[in-house]
Amino acid sequence: MTKLICLVKFVPDVDNFKYDFERNIIIRENADLVLNPDDAKAIAFALKVKALNPDVMVEILSMGPRSVAPMLENLLRLKIDQATLITDPLFVGSDTYVTSHILARYLQSIDYDCILSGMHSLDGDTSHVPSQIAEYLSIQQYPNVLDGEYDLNLNKHFNVSVERENFIETYEVSLPILLSFSRESKLKLPYVRYEDMHKVVSDKLVILNNENLKFDRHQIGLEGSLTYVSRSFIKPQNKKDKLVVRCDDEGVMKVYHTLKQWGYLK
Amino acid sequence: MKKVLIYFDDEHRDNSLELLSVASKIYPNEKISIHALNPSNHNQELIGRVHTIINCHSHTIVPYDYGNLTQWIADLQDTHTYNCILFPSSMNGRIIAPRVAMRLHVGLVADITDIQFNHGKLEIIRPAYGGKIMAAIECLKEPIMMTVRQNVFSQQAYDSVVSEVIEFQFKDFKLNQIKCVKRVDKNDLTQDIRQSKILISGGYGIEKNFNQIYELASELKAQVSASRKIVDLGVVSRKIQVGQSGKTVSPVLYIALGISGSTQHIEGLRNIETIISVNLDENAALNSIADIVVVGDAIEFTHRLTQIIKKERKGS
Repeated sequence: MTKLICLVKFVPDVDNFKYDFERNIIIRENADLVLNPDDAKAIAFALKVKALNPDVMVEILSMGPRSVAPMLENLLRLKIDQATLITDPLFVGSDTYVTSHILARYLQSIDYDCILSGMHSLDGDTSHVPSQIAEYLSIQQYPNVLDGEYDLNLNKHFNVSVERENFIETYEVSLPILLSFSRESKLKLPYVRYEDMHKVVSDKLVILNNENLKFDRHQIGLEGSLTYVSRSFIKPQNKKDKLVVRCDDEGVMKVYHTLKQWGYLK
Repeated sequence: MKKVLIYFDDEHRDNSLELLSVASKIYPNEKISIHALNPSNHNQELIGRVHTIINCHSHTIVPYDYGNLTQWIADLQDTHTYNCILFPSSMNGRIIAPRVAMRLHVGLVADITDIQFNHGKLEIIRPAYGGKIMAAIECLKEPIMMTVRQNVFSQQAYDSVVSEVIEFQFKDFKLNQIKCVKRVDKNDLTQDIRQSKILISGGYGIEKNFNQIYELASELKAQVSASRKIVDLGVVSRKIQVGQSGKTVSPVLYIALGISGSTQHIEGLRNIETIISVNLDENAALNSIADIVVVGDAIEFTHRLTQIIKKERKGS
């Protein structure tokens, strides 16, 4: 049986979030959280595969505060077989290196064929975690995926389409692999069927903490992290100076050089 | 003496060279020895600028062969013990760097935009939360690793150095399982102006010569859009109209040619990085939100810019 794991993160609504400037961490408890849009593409892909091959198993894996449990339950109403939430106050403040270790340790303990993730997250947007998990698990990864051939059961090789700056490319990949989906993907998360709106799914939600994962407490959270946010500040509003030129040799040349400097011209 | 390794991404050469400025910002008062890992083996831009260039001819390493590239950098780190490893924030740079950091058990800072010092301590600055917050990051272990946002640091003037080219031998080469089987130019796929990265938009000011802007569009790999007036006049299809009764667009670069900028037009512009407005009227409304204003005839501007791009391309 093919098993797909979707890595999902619930992120603060970027337009409306609270930040602890004393401790330099995001306040995730009781914050308005939304499913990271790129991660929704990964789930949408998994569900599409499952629609074609009903015996494919889909698990979503997330790390975050307990308050995301109802959101995971909402996703479970979409024919997802299991949701696993890794949550522990000890994990608060973990940087990407530590987060990747925590998630990878769990993944190493289970079977999977393909791991699906988003490419970017709305909040930190480091894109580190999927790559670091792939490295830890010694599997390949491909980024910026738009879509793929769905019939994973047929073959261990399949094609995925990938977005590049000026091209759409098709790659042949083989399992096991980690695919990171781009927000530009046209895949869409389905709506919950009306009859399933209030379905009880709590039996499919597995909650794990550090008692299960057994990390030394010095290796996790702020203490275990290898990078440290020493301060944070609101971005100074340095509006680009307006450039005003005439339409003559000098003026147009200046526009050309500015376009080049800002990277619009190669 | 500090040792820095830079990752030379052949698809983003200029951005890779920007890493040299970052290195000298991190170590302002020290001698730096720069190594450049260049899987493409095309060393032209690197010669004279870095002390050591590392190639590999025994195996073909494609830019998305993340496993072998990680192995390569980890081996180099073993041999040379770099103080710092830098990557451009290109698609491939941002995948390889986290893998290397995991392998070397060091921290990594993503997509940095500045280097600062606070009481003598190195602080790496990066935006977070969609650029609303800037965070200063300290790295607790060497090598210091980061990916560097493109086009933020400029390339610096340099004194030419003697570059030594060395060949890397893989101890443990694994066959890459990923193959590119097809490539399609995006411009051939979509005519939807909402998907365009660069839009050249024409307005009433260029009504009679609208078709002359297509040449510039093709030079910039841009698509053409228009204001409502041009559409109402029947010059182009409503499919490419920007504004309230047309489409809302978010290109990174929007070049408005002879568009005065009615409220309804500006309503259709969202999250655009850079706006260039070319207009005979210096006081056109669009000029107040533009980053670059060109005062003059829009068609003349189009021709001049097209000529310069063509000429410079030939020259380089």
